[in-house]
Amino acid sequence: MLTPAELVWLIAAVAKGDEAAFERLYAATRAKLFGVVLRILRRQDLAEEVIQETYVKIWNGAGKFNPGLSSPITWMASIARNRAIDVVRKRGELSIEEEPAAMEVAAESPDPLARREMSEELKRLLECVGRLEPDRQKLVLLAYYNGWSREQLAAKFETPVNTVKTWLRRSMMDIRECLGL
Amino acid sequence: MMAYSEDDIALAAEYALGTLDADERAEAEAKMSIDKDFAAMVEAWQHKLGVLNQMVGSIQPRPEVWNKIKSAISLSDAQAALALPEAVPAAPEALQPAVVADTSNVVRLSARARRWRNVATFASAIAAALIAVIAVGVYQPDLLPGAIRPKPRTQVVEVKTSSAPTPRSAQYVAVLQKEGGSPAFILTVDAATRNFTVRKVGAAAEPGKSFELWLISDKLPRPRSLGVIGNGDFTARPVLASYDSDVINNATYAVTVEQAGGSPDGIPHSAPVFTGKLIETVPPAAPAR
Repeated sequence: MLTPAELVWLIAAVAKGDEAAFERLYAATRAKLFGVVLRILRRQDLAEEVIQETYVKIWNGAGKFNPGLSSPITWMASIARNRAIDVVRKRGELSIEEEPAAMEVAAESPDPLARREMSEELKRLLECVGRLEPDRQKLVLLAYYNGWSREQLAAKFETPVNTVKTWLRRSMMDIRECLGL
Repeated sequence: MMAYSEDDIALAAEYALGTLDADERAEAEAKMSIDKDFAAMVEAWQHKLGVLNQMVGSIQPRPEVWNKIKSAISLSDAQAALALPEAVPAAPEALQPAVVADTSNVVRLSARARRWRNVATFASAIAAALIAVIAVGVYQPDLLPGAIRPKPRTQVVEVKTSSAPTPRSAQYVAVLQKEGGSPAFILTVDAATRNFTVRKVGAAAEPGKSFELWLISDKLPRPRSLGVIGNGDFTARPVLASYDSDVINNATYAVTVEQAGGSPDGIPHSAPVFTGKLIETVPPAAPAR
């Protein structure tokens, strides 16, 4: 992976229509973005479609990237992830029973990173997530990594949807306070 | 940044987290498109949570994905050029003359029309906020937030036209809202077919009442009904086809509360509840292809 500074430079070049820069940007970031959307979509074909749409958006919208607000990879991953979530929400939910094995595996295993490889921002966020009750930590992480809906989370936690709704909201407010947002 | 309610903050946070349902996501995206501060709040959340992706493993997509991206890009460039209206989409400053010209027409309007004209002038302020979204729509439909971007299921063509349907013609939007309020309806107009679709985002009509959509133009003596907005999430109609692009582009779109089934006499019976505008967006009718 290129450094964030190199990615910023590449995005700036892409904004000017530099196709070679776009190809380098794609090569440097595609596997990360594909990993992010595949977790959510759980289907190669859908994930590939989302990746295509994402990079078309990145090509067209590179001029909108503001390095002061976001890191390049976070910006790109947000575009990909939002698209993936839109797709799963609109397809209607796969019921949790449809793919129990896959769901379970994915649920428990974001890549473990050695703590020293984590960015300061990630450590800070995980500290705040870590202050939540254990069930709610899991709730937030499952929602983020797997793109689960409230209904799916409710099934997983054997809890009414409204309770999940309240937990999610409370959890996000707690994280907000902890981060000082 | 203005103070947001806890509901708004939660909406932004849960949008970034991903737990909203499709309608709530549409609502959040509509809000982002008209409220920069709200959009910034969502972006801040996306950035804060985005670091979690550091822990997601990388997986290589197949090589053909890149080929598809490359061809999609040259394709979208070509399409953008075709779909471009004659006039370059107005920059925000360019709105001013239009508003001034509107005002000079007031003398010719009846008292009733003048009341509606005030609405139109107000709506142009909303339109200014929307201009960025709309300009993106002209050049880069793919950049529009999902709520506003045309979705296949909203492109219901009720009347078959003789020309072949354009697969991805440009789509233009207006967000209909109360002053400072949440968007209630999103109006999408297909530039090629002039079919429009109204997506209900917020409001539900009271029992025994119907929401009716009106087109208000200083080129027309009185508001024209575009029909009652159905109870479903989407209402699609072809009726704009009978108006020319100048009228469509400059009109104010307003929603009134009418008796169930709509105004019986073709005249609005309430003040406009929600209003919005499209700007310089629909190219003149293409000759039959």
